Amino acid sequence: MADTSFTASAIGHAYGKVAALHSLDFTVPRGRTGLVGANGAGKSTLIKVLLGILEPTVGTSTVLGMDSRRESIDIRSNVGYMPEGPCLPLDQTAADFLVYAAGTAGLPREAARQRASDVLTLVGLDEERFRYLGNFSTGMKQRAKLAQAIVHDPDLVFLDEPTSGLDPSGREEMLDLISRLGTFGIDVVVSSHVLRDIERTCDWVVMLDAGTLVHAGPVGGELEEDTLRVEYASDPSAIASDLTAAGARVTADGNKVVVSFAAGNVYDLVRDVTVRHDGTLRRLSGSASSLEELFILHGEAP
Amino acid sequence: MTDRTGAVYDLGYEPYEGERNGRSGARRTVVADGLRRVLGLRRKGRRKVLPWALLLVAVAPAVVAVGASFLLPTGGSDQIEIVTANAGFFLLGGTIALLFASLAAPELLIPDRSDGVLSMLASRPLTPGDYVAAKFASIAAIVFAFLLVPQITLYVGEAGTHSQGLFAGFVDGADKLPKILLVAGVYTIAYVPLAFVIAALTKRKAVASSIFIALSLGLAGIGETIVRETNFAAARWIALLSPIDDANAVNLWVFDEHGEENLLDYADIHPLFGLLSLVVLGIACVFFVYRRYRRIM
Repeated sequence: MADTSFTASAIGHAYGKVAALHSLDFTVPRGRTGLVGANGAGKSTLIKVLLGILEPTVGTSTVLGMDSRRESIDIRSNVGYMPEGPCLPLDQTAADFLVYAAGTAGLPREAARQRASDVLTLVGLDEERFRYLGNFSTGMKQRAKLAQAIVHDPDLVFLDEPTSGLDPSGREEMLDLISRLGTFGIDVVVSSHVLRDIERTCDWVVMLDAGTLVHAGPVGGELEEDTLRVEYASDPSAIASDLTAAGARVTADGNKVVVSFAAGNVYDLVRDVTVRHDGTLRRLSGSASSLEELFILHGEAP
Repeated sequence: MTDRTGAVYDLGYEPYEGERNGRSGARRTVVADGLRRVLGLRRKGRRKVLPWALLLVAVAPAVVAVGASFLLPTGGSDQIEIVTANAGFFLLGGTIALLFASLAAPELLIPDRSDGVLSMLASRPLTPGDYVAAKFASIAAIVFAFLLVPQITLYVGEAGTHSQGLFAGFVDGADKLPKILLVAGVYTIAYVPLAFVIAALTKRKAVASSIFIALSLGLAGIGETIVRETNFAAARWIALLSPIDDANAVNLWVFDEHGEENLLDYADIHPLFGLLSLVVLGIACVFFVYRRYRRIM
C-alpha cells in the first residue's frame, strides 16, 4: 500500500475562465488530514479532482499511489466520499440505501447487506434502519451520509463539511465518529472551514485560500514557533533584506513583515536587525497559537 | 451480591476482505435498483399503485381472451383467433406501455438528481456512461417485459387450448415468438429513448410524464393532419416523425396485417423506414442523455 494518502503536483483547475485551483503542490501522508479554507477556497474542487470526477486543467495528482486521471475508477473503488450537500434518496429506508451504496462500490449483494447492517450500527442508526431517509433529522442524515461513505470499507474517505448543520451535541458525536475511523485503518480527509474541528480530529493539515496552497504540514508542527509578524512605522525594505540575508524567510506587505527563521531564535534575529537599522516597531506578535491564528496569519501574508 | 456472568462485547469495526466486483458490479447494482424503483418495490405502498395497476390493465384483456377461448366450446378455431390477435394486442399494449414509460423514465432519472444521489454515485467506480447505460437498460428491460407479458399470456393460453395438448401447443405457436420479441423490442425503442431524454431534462416527474405523452400524441396528430390532409408528396415523410405510428406500422407488417388506417401505409412508406427512424431517434436521444450526464455527474 502507498505511503502517501494523496499528492498534488502543480495541479490546477478552472471552471471555464474562472480558476479554482492554482498550481498546488503537496504530499500528504497516511492518517487523518484536514483540508481547510474559507467557503470558495477550492476544497470541494480539490476533492473532486483527486477522485477523478473533475479533470485538472494542469498538473497531476495521486490518491493512494494511483493517478487521479488515469486510474480514477480504481481510486473510487478504494475510497469513500461524503458530499457536503444532500446525497440521500428520500424514498428509501436507511438499510436499503446502504445496501445500494455498497453495491455501487462493487460489493456483492449478500456482503452489501452485511456491511450495511454493521455500518448502521457503527454510526448509531441501527434502530432507524427501516425508517425512510426522508423522515430523518439533520443529524441522522449526516450519519447516514457518513455510513454510505464507509460502507464498502474504503482505504481512504473524504468527508466534505461533515459537521455542517449539526447542533453542538450532534457535532461532538460526529467528530468522535471521525476520530474513530482512523483506528479502523481508514485514512480520513476532513474538509471544513471550522478549524477547531480539524485541530481536534486531524494530525495533518492542508490549507487553501482562494485556490492557492497556504500551508501543508502536521497539525501542531505548523503552529510555527519560529514565525513572527512585525509591523514597522516606516518602510522595512532594508530590514527585510537583512533578515533574508541572515537566512530568514521573509514576506513583506507595505510596512508589515512576516519572518520565519528556523536556524535560531526569531525574536533575537528581529531585535538585532531592527536595532541595526534603527527601526521603529509598531506591532509585534508571536506565531500562531492555533490553526485559526495560523490561517489568519497566512491569509494576511501576501 | 449478584452472580453475573454476562459480558458486554464491543464488536468494533470489521474490515471487509471479500470479493469486490468493481465497475461491473456497480453497473449491475444500478440496473437492479432501477427495476425495483420503477415497480415501486421496497418503496412506500403508494409508489406501487400506478405501475402495477397499468400492468394489470395491460394483461387483463389477454387473460379475458384466453379465458374465453377455454370456455367457448369451439375447439381449434379459438386458437387461430388468439394467434391472429397478436398485432391487435400490441396496439392496445403499446398504448398502455406509452403510459408506463411516461411514469418509469422520470422515476428512474429525476430523484437521483433532485435528492443529490448523483454526487454519491460520482464517487463510485461508475462513469457517466455506465450510469446512463445502466439506467437505460433498466427502463428498456422493464418496458420490454411490460409489452411481453400480455403476449406470453396469449401464447400460453393458445397452447392450453390446443387440441393435442399443452406441449404441442407450445411447439405450434413457437414460430410466433421471434415476431413477438421483435415487435416488443420495436415498441420499446419507440417509447423509451424519448421518455428517457425528457426525464433527463426535466426537474419534476409529473411534468416529464406530461411532456412525453403530449409530445408522443402531438407528433402522431401532426403526422395524421399533414399526411392525410395535404397533397404535397414530400409531406408524407412527416409520418416517420411519429414514434407511435412507426411502431404500429412495424407491428402490423411483422404480423402481416395491412390497412390504410395505419399512417405509414397511407403514406406509402415501407415499415422498415419506420424502424430505421426509431433506431436513429433512439440513438440520438441516448447520446444526448449521455452528453448531459457527462456534464452534471
